[in-house]
Amino acid sequence: MHMGEIILDVRDQRTSFATARGMLAAVDGVSFTLQRGRTLGVVGESGSGKSVLSRSIMRLLPGNAVVPGGSRVILNGRDLTRLSEAELRRLRGPEMAIVFQDPMTSLNPVLSIGRQIMEVLMFHLGMKKRAARARAIELLTAVGLPQPDVRVDQYPHQLSGGMRQRVAIAIAIACEPDLLIADEPTTALDVTVQAEILDLLQRMVRERNMAMILITHDMGVVAGRCDDVAVMYAGRIVEQAPVRDLFRNTRMPYTAALLASIPKVTDPPHRKLDAIDGRPPDLINPPPGCPFAPRCKLADADCDQGKPMLEGPAGHLFACIRPLGQETAA
Amino acid sequence: MADVTSSRQGTQTEDKPQIDMNMVAIAMHRRSRRLGLYFWIPMIWLVIVAVACIFAPFWGLPPADEIDWVYIQSPPVEGHPLGTDNLGRDLLSRIVWGGRVSLTVGFAAPFIGVGLGLILGLIAGYYRGWADEVIGILIDAWLAIPGLVVLLLFSVVFGGSLFMVCVSLGLLFIPTAARITRAATLNYAGREFVLAAKAMGASDFRIMRKEIFPNIIWPLIAFILIDIPIAIVIEGALSFLGLSVKAPTPSWGGIIAEGREVLSTYPHIAMYPTLVMFVTVLSFNLVGDAIRRRLADVREGAI
Repeated sequence: MHMGEIILDVRDQRTSFATARGMLAAVDGVSFTLQRGRTLGVVGESGSGKSVLSRSIMRLLPGNAVVPGGSRVILNGRDLTRLSEAELRRLRGPEMAIVFQDPMTSLNPVLSIGRQIMEVLMFHLGMKKRAARARAIELLTAVGLPQPDVRVDQYPHQLSGGMRQRVAIAIAIACEPDLLIADEPTTALDVTVQAEILDLLQRMVRERNMAMILITHDMGVVAGRCDDVAVMYAGRIVEQAPVRDLFRNTRMPYTAALLASIPKVTDPPHRKLDAIDGRPPDLINPPPGCPFAPRCKLADADCDQGKPMLEGPAGHLFACIRPLGQETAA
Repeated sequence: MADVTSSRQGTQTEDKPQIDMNMVAIAMHRRSRRLGLYFWIPMIWLVIVAVACIFAPFWGLPPADEIDWVYIQSPPVEGHPLGTDNLGRDLLSRIVWGGRVSLTVGFAAPFIGVGLGLILGLIAGYYRGWADEVIGILIDAWLAIPGLVVLLLFSVVFGGSLFMVCVSLGLLFIPTAARITRAATLNYAGREFVLAAKAMGASDFRIMRKEIFPNIIWPLIAFILIDIPIAIVIEGALSFLGLSVKAPTPSWGGIIAEGREVLSTYPHIAMYPTLVMFVTVLSFNLVGDAIRRRLADVREGAI
């Protein structure tokens, strides 16, 4: 249970969907490892495959999803791709859990929140009703829900968005998972509540010594709260580095463009935003080379020759043959 | 909220008599939630009928098949408050005992139908795909068989057993119940809380039972409320035709059928059971409507 133990090892995860127009490669060869106590931020714009990646790890994909045999998801030394649905069910909750984006829809509207937490405790940990209720109140206290002994009998509609997300987190951590995936946990919340929820998640990871994957489209969220960051584009990780390194020493032009597109308080008023021109590539017929090449200011003819590998020195990986900061590196 | 009303009061106090807006709001809310006489009067009748039927042996009524040779086809007399029928059997006793049959069928048939329809609808709506196709085809095939044929078949094969009357009627309710369940299940099966439950290790059966079922119970209750009076009427019609429970056992339709033979001379024999059945069915409809309206409020508002 020491720090540094590898909780999750994803190897060449590929997830495609059979659609009317053809095979859509939503996740296209993603590999990474995650250690206990660490938080990996996964950043990318809509459609970059972040959420599909999280569902691929949990093995919660819809029926039209196709995962080739070479993909491996190894959680605590167990290869999830080789487990039966029944075996997976035993792991979901006690070993891995997920917090969804919208707490409005991820809680059952007709069951009291206490009931929803107790369900999980009674099912996975075999607790009796009374003990489960006591534990549910403890969990609600732990996630900072005010008046937990009253709230436990309330229904989701009686709670605010932030409170609901706290409940969703309480459910997710109820069985002390080793891996917590937070899939845009603050996107549906008020800005004022966002920081509280992120702080809470961070505290839970620290206190319970879990590993967390924090999926977001917000670079600001990643900056303060993650150990490592993986930037996703068109279903691939295009840059992965310790958070400090990624911001200080950005190598991948896409990451740089993402960072540049964030407006700064110090900018003069009425300044045009640095939006990234063009659109993300068609994932059914992806470009032959670097998927970002058509939008990249630094791209040249070589960029269209084959997909660049994700590689780099000293834990700072990037998938680019014309990286930024080349001069300083050389 | 209290702040808003109190500040409004402050401006009104000079010229108008002070009205506590909170009390008005509470009173209005209470009024809107009242069930009203259209609910309570029929409800009281149903309670009377139910208590009378359920505790039939305790009222000191003469047995429903005991013949009083002194009074045959008699109008109401001492000892026979509603008179006697063609064979001199006490009419009140027969109506009370007959009510047991009617109410049993009225409640059992919809529950059997909704119970089986619920299972089919849940499977079809949750799994979709081939399960949905197969169940859909089965339901269509079942609907192609006329209901009366099913009822006749059961009555011929099982010869008037009360249980089989309930089952045969229940079978007729399956298609609608299954379709209602399927539609409601489709609505909820794709919701994120189902995925969230799955992400916490819930099995399909568990999700159907614990996550989806509590959400779809309201349309099913409304459906049962509609079906109870329908089942009572159909059972009445079957008894009238002699296709329900066998002859010595009284049932409302059966008593009416017996009274029909002497309708011109002794109309009271057919009239009393008809009246009781009419008022009971009407009451079920009124109570059902009131509850369904209330459920609609609940679904729009609180939940």
